[in-house]
Amino acid sequence: MNIDYNLLLQGITEAIVILDTEGYVTYSNPAVMDITGYSLDELHNQHLTVFYPTPEDQVKAEYELGLSLKKRKFLSEGWRYKKDGTKFWSEMYLSPLYDEQKKLLGYSCIIRDVSEKKKLDVELRQSEERFRLMVEAVRDYAIFMLDTTGYIVSWNEGAKRIKGYSADEIIGKHFSTFYTSEDLDSKKPERELKIAIATGKYEEEGWRVRKDGSLFWANVVITALFNDQNKHIGFSKVTRDLTEKRESQESLRQSEERYRSLVEQVTDYGIFMLDEKGRIISWNEGAKKIKGYDEREIIGKYFSIFYPEEDVLNGKPALELKIAKAEGKYEEEGWRIRKDGSPFWANVVITAVYNNQGIHIGFSKVTRDLTERKESERALRDSYERYRLLANELRLTNTELSYANQELEQFTSIVSHDLQEPIRSIKSFLQLINIKLNKEQNEDLKVYIEKAISSADRMKQLIQNLLHYSQLGKTDLVEEDINVDELIIEAIQNVGTSAEKSNAQITVENDIKTVKGDRVQLVQLIQNLLSNALKFTDSQSPKVKITGFHENGHVKFSVTDNGIGIAETDIHKVFEIFRRLHTKKLYPGTGIGLAICKKIVERHGGRIWPESNPGKGTTFYFTLKEQKEMLQPV
Amino acid sequence: MKKYKIIIVENDEDEQQFMKEGFDSAALFDIVGQVRNGDTLFEWLNTNKNNLPDVILSDLNMPGKNGYDVINEVKSNPLYSHIPVVITSTSSTKTIIEKCLSSGAADYIVKPETFIEYVPYVQNLYKRIEEKQLVKY
Repeated sequence: MNIDYNLLLQGITEAIVILDTEGYVTYSNPAVMDITGYSLDELHNQHLTVFYPTPEDQVKAEYELGLSLKKRKFLSEGWRYKKDGTKFWSEMYLSPLYDEQKKLLGYSCIIRDVSEKKKLDVELRQSEERFRLMVEAVRDYAIFMLDTTGYIVSWNEGAKRIKGYSADEIIGKHFSTFYTSEDLDSKKPERELKIAIATGKYEEEGWRVRKDGSLFWANVVITALFNDQNKHIGFSKVTRDLTEKRESQESLRQSEERYRSLVEQVTDYGIFMLDEKGRIISWNEGAKKIKGYDEREIIGKYFSIFYPEEDVLNGKPALELKIAKAEGKYEEEGWRIRKDGSPFWANVVITAVYNNQGIHIGFSKVTRDLTERKESERALRDSYERYRLLANELRLTNTELSYANQELEQFTSIVSHDLQEPIRSIKSFLQLINIKLNKEQNEDLKVYIEKAISSADRMKQLIQNLLHYSQLGKTDLVEEDINVDELIIEAIQNVGTSAEKSNAQITVENDIKTVKGDRVQLVQLIQNLLSNALKFTDSQSPKVKITGFHENGHVKFSVTDNGIGIAETDIHKVFEIFRRLHTKKLYPGTGIGLAICKKIVERHGGRIWPESNPGKGTTFYFTLKEQKEMLQPV
Repeated sequence: MKKYKIIIVENDEDEQQFMKEGFDSAALFDIVGQVRNGDTLFEWLNTNKNNLPDVILSDLNMPGKNGYDVINEVKSNPLYSHIPVVITSTSSTKTIIEKCLSSGAADYIVKPETFIEYVPYVQNLYKRIEEKQLVKY
């Protein structure tokens, strides 16, 4: 084909300018006019710089032409100006033109308006820049790029913050730097990249290593990157530090675990959960211990299984849940039933349980077996009672001891005086007799012997009385029902002779049928009082009155005489053993009678006391069974 | 040698008799009275206010007012409270002696083994009255 090259130049859409060796336009095709607005005529002999922003750019133009000479081709990119002064982004290809003798003829210059492309380029670059800046600025995520083999090619602020490396330190290093030695041994990094390529991405949570060697719990997403041609160009890697989140999750888990195991292991309380319908959904050791059911046999059962049939029929379990839900809590003590059917006394607290959205999800139930507590309370009460009794016994023993002590003191006094005196008398008279016999003086011997005998008699009487008195406290009371009238008659009969002798009148007024007591002792009591009443009198016709009547739940007796009476200063002395208020010549006696009376009355749980008008008479009162405690223990 | 006026309170008549013999033989006291118990002592004192004894010697165990009553009544009566009461008894029991002394007895002297040995007893009584200067003027 024979081509007219001139037509080619004229027809081609590419803007072509021919320059002479100095850079002046010798030719421009019509396409040049389309782009720049200049015609050939207008451009002819104009320097290339006509398209440049300022004439000063001639230097630059010459430089670029020079470069094209050297390089045979030079692309100049930049702003060029149209005839109307508007600028366009152009690519300008300069190439030197030679003749066949290699002599420089000038330059060809192809001008392209690439403003549109440039605009797109710029926009793209600006958009990329924005993303880059954005990515770089992200602090909470480490976002970085790997090349196809896993070497790091970009780094952001988050990566620096999370992993501790600056961009300078890490770019160009392999991403396996962030893995633990175990992961490296198992070739985990390589595996992850393979998975990312095969499936598009790889995601996991796991331990990663910071620059300082410390571990952090990371959420990692590796995404394989492909270009438009679907060619694999690398990976993006986004890493998040979950250490804190993991720690809080872990502490929550541990705390839950602790509470769970705590509740499970509590053995003194049955602690379990019910769903909102009352079905058992958890069980602990204490519940097992108290109620006897294993976890697997009880879970899913209604909690009414623990109630006595009566409660179930009355709908009590459901009512309790209703109350717990309405009031937040239900508490009571009551009978519950173990697996083996045996009842136990339980303290029960049912609490409505809500989740954190406030939705009612069931109930917690805490059951305590109070049977043991009740028993220990009873044991405590029993032991308290025992101690109380013991203390009471001790108190009584103490009273008894001090009483015994008093008696011992009394006994000492008796032995040292009352018993020693007649002995001393006897010895004295025997010694006198001895002296008289030595002197062969026989007068008065009989008198001394009689006095010694008399002292011995007195001694014997004292000893007998003392023994009698002490026996009163040593032997058990023979408790029987005694007819009181008979009792009084017996006592009167026993003092018969002295009563007859003194010509006494004895009257009885008795309302009491029977008393409980020791017949022998009670006869002696009345008899002693009676004989005192008859003894201590000046009257020619002694009058004695015996009464018996009920008063305030006990019996009260009195023996009244019209005798000499007792002086007020002496009235407290009358019950002292061997105490005589009068000389034996006037009123003979050993001074034991009233002491015996007092002892008998006290042993019968009563009191005895005299009331007297000196010169007019005396009344002795005594009660029986007045106060149980006053009964002298054996 | 000063002779003290003494009144003897003793319920046993034989004892009284032998005591008198002992006191007479020793010749250290003038017996101004012999009574059988506290009751008769105070009767005697009341009728002899102008001739009160220097010393009251009293048995402890007597019917009616006994030795303790004598001590208490003498000590509580301003007319007689200056008169020392010496208690005499068969008992040498420490608690009884202490009880008498703490009640206000001036002294306590145990009676002799037998009432025929009263002379040394009287001598001892005199010595103790002197030593303790029981009688004040």
